[in-house]
Amino acid sequence: MAHAIDACVHCGFCLPACPTYALLGDEMDSPRGRIVLMKEVLEGELALEDAVPHLDRCLGCQGCVTACPSGVPYGELITGFRGWSEPQRQRPLLQKARRTALLRVLPSPQLFYAAATLGQHAKPLSPLMPALLKPALDLLPRRVPRRNRLQPFFPAEGPIRGRVALLAGCAQQTLAPNFNEATIRVLTRNGFEVVVPAGQGCCGAAALHTGERDLALRQVKQNLQAFGGENYTAIISNAAGCGAGLKEYPVVVRGQPEEAQAQALAAQVQDISEFLGGLLDRGELRPTLPASQPLRVAYHDACHLAHAQGIRREPRELLRWIGGIEVLEVPRGDLCCGSAGTYNIEQPELAAQLGQLKAAHILSVQPDLIASGNIGCHTQIASHTRERGSAVRVMHTVEILDLAYRGEL
Amino acid sequence: MPASEFGQLQRRLGAGKVLLRPSECSSYRYDAIQFGVRPLAVVLPETVEDVVQAVRAAQAAGVPVVGRGAASGLSGGAAPAQPGLVVSFTRMTALRILPQQREAVAQAGVVTLAVSEAARLHGLTYPPDPASLRTSTIGGNLGENAGGPLCFKYGVTGDYVRALQVVDADGEIHHLTRDAYDLAGLMIGSEGTLGLITEATLRLVPPARHTLTLQASFGSLEACAAAVSTAISAGTVPAKLEFMDAACIGAVEDYLHLGLPRHAAALLLVDSDGDDPAQVEAELKVVEEAFRAAGGEVRRARDAQEAAALWQARRSVSPALGRIRPARMNEDIAVPRSRLPQVVAEIQALAEPYGFPLVQFGHIGDGNLHPNILFDPRRDDPEQVHELAHRIAQVALRHGGVLSGEHGIGSMKRAFMAEAVDTQTAAAYWAIKDTLDPAGRLNPEKLLPPRGALATGPEVAHAGA
Repeated sequence: MAHAIDACVHCGFCLPACPTYALLGDEMDSPRGRIVLMKEVLEGELALEDAVPHLDRCLGCQGCVTACPSGVPYGELITGFRGWSEPQRQRPLLQKARRTALLRVLPSPQLFYAAATLGQHAKPLSPLMPALLKPALDLLPRRVPRRNRLQPFFPAEGPIRGRVALLAGCAQQTLAPNFNEATIRVLTRNGFEVVVPAGQGCCGAAALHTGERDLALRQVKQNLQAFGGENYTAIISNAAGCGAGLKEYPVVVRGQPEEAQAQALAAQVQDISEFLGGLLDRGELRPTLPASQPLRVAYHDACHLAHAQGIRREPRELLRWIGGIEVLEVPRGDLCCGSAGTYNIEQPELAAQLGQLKAAHILSVQPDLIASGNIGCHTQIASHTRERGSAVRVMHTVEILDLAYRGEL
Repeated sequence: MPASEFGQLQRRLGAGKVLLRPSECSSYRYDAIQFGVRPLAVVLPETVEDVVQAVRAAQAAGVPVVGRGAASGLSGGAAPAQPGLVVSFTRMTALRILPQQREAVAQAGVVTLAVSEAARLHGLTYPPDPASLRTSTIGGNLGENAGGPLCFKYGVTGDYVRALQVVDADGEIHHLTRDAYDLAGLMIGSEGTLGLITEATLRLVPPARHTLTLQASFGSLEACAAAVSTAISAGTVPAKLEFMDAACIGAVEDYLHLGLPRHAAALLLVDSDGDDPAQVEAELKVVEEAFRAAGGEVRRARDAQEAAALWQARRSVSPALGRIRPARMNEDIAVPRSRLPQVVAEIQALAEPYGFPLVQFGHIGDGNLHPNILFDPRRDDPEQVHELAHRIAQVALRHGGVLSGEHGIGSMKRAFMAEAVDTQTAAAYWAIKDTLDPAGRLNPEKLLPPRGALATGPEVAHAGA
């Protein structure tokens, strides 16, 4: 961590990029402030418990990484620090139980489905629920879609151009099963066989970013096993957070026997928009039908696509390429929507304020449709635009492409 | 006792506005170049009345008060030299645009760029454009009298001030204008040593209708400096005329990947602007010819987007230097333009025997250069760094220049002040300071040469511009 801390020249260019600084306007809730706090804790000048309120408020959105001229790897820094500090922390019993439950339920499609279905019935009771559970309930959709197990293999349509593996994700299998279905349809239509490797599990990002290093390591190793052993054209993720998580594997197992394997895996990982954008760049993407009427689409940059993976151009170009779509830029589009993994549950007030801000910014451009590439953002934006009385649909970029291929857009 | 005074202040203003915990206070001890000492308390005022209360609490506690904006300054101005109270203005962000008067009324914590953005909705603009304009605040800009690329043609922060609201050392509120004794002018660039600026009435102007941007690279620093002199002697007044050397080009290229010419020894960025496109074109032509004559390779920005990317590159130079060495000593000298080629070369030669990477960039149009000594505090000798910095400052003074073009003196260049001003002027500075802040509690150990350390340095020549 020392090299990352030293790389910070405390210029303050990160301040305007930080969502919590925007809300709170104080230095210790800014990236620069947090780096100094981490440094002081590590050097023994500050007690860990004094620093953690501010470090816990970090969304891990990495907006600051984009803004940083000195190239400080802030993401690695906060993740490393959380991993180091978590085992030393004393958390209140209830908080601890919720964390453990969250990190156990989120990664398991079975458990999450059961919890979501249960929660759906409890949703009308939300105002009566303890503050600990309310934020989670508020985010659930009114209707949990029927559960749909994915087959292990989907054949390509027409001549085979390659073979890709799909990371199916956790919560999104329950909350938005159509993300995977649309992804598979678009890929197979473009001549790719899609494998959904058995034995895959949660990517580990949620555990890693909350400092549960041991759990994260187990999950990483499970996926190295599940996705190893075959060279795919690409390993596809359609959730920005998970894709970024997979690409982080070499850092997680740095110096361990699995490092080479992790590097091989990370090199194959592509977000669905990155993969399709590559086909588009090479003129290899099969044409869709245009939208049946002109559509104004607000594209929301998921932090883990834009900031963590540097993917901004491809999704926009894919949408424009469909024909009939005008891509609208969201004011302050670099600012996180506040979803950020488990943040919604652990920092509900800040998350809600950021969600409200994001919804207002998105709706200010008067879109017909909202596109994003991450389940967390999707849920957050849908919930907060609905709260403002908006009926504008929120869709994954690949869902829009899928509709266009089917002539239903 | 400070603790009880600030405890009381916290009870009066509310816990959210007064920070007392070490973790909180620790975050308010640095700016973008220096770490100071941990303040005893931090106030985040939301109104001028909060500021008054804060100043009175510090007065009662008998400790210093240091004003702070976004702490993106480059002279140590906001880094406390002594334990005391920091007043952080980041939550005083009220901003009104008065289009009829072509004025903006901005509280101290308004972010610089926000003024231009708000003014644009009324067909107006606020020209001062420090590199940190997305972060920096109006209060901080005023405290250091910040400049920026546009200041060659349009002037620095102070040139846009019509009036200031200031809280003095006793906690009294004043409304200062530019009439009679220009007391508002006295506050500009005073780094919070005479009072705390809480609100400013700023002049807005209609933006130029047309802007063209070009980039030129040179094989040597001398050729580059000569090109600038020739272009300006030919009567051109570019809106911006910026310079960066090879190391700067490399550092920002690593950050932004724009395809800048890594092998060039120097790069110039030029904006020409005006309302008449023919005139703008004609001016840029003259510049282009001057640059070519000096051996420059000239390329125009294809469109506004490319121009914007080039300017982002320029704004990123200073922090991107962190990629080369973790720490730096930055200078902000301003020298007569006619002396530029010589000054650039002398500084280059001076640095060589020391072995530190030395980079130079700046607003070369008005002779404002930022030589930066890059070093690693764990390996390099701070004495050596300081000695080289001192000698660079002396180069500027010898050529009739000044220590600070736009960053302020702060604590970084305070040591050189004794050589930069004559005894009588320094005495006048201190007379003003003693009148307005007799107890010496406003941002102590900044800007002013230490008492009794006056004019012991070398002879200062005065060269014509």
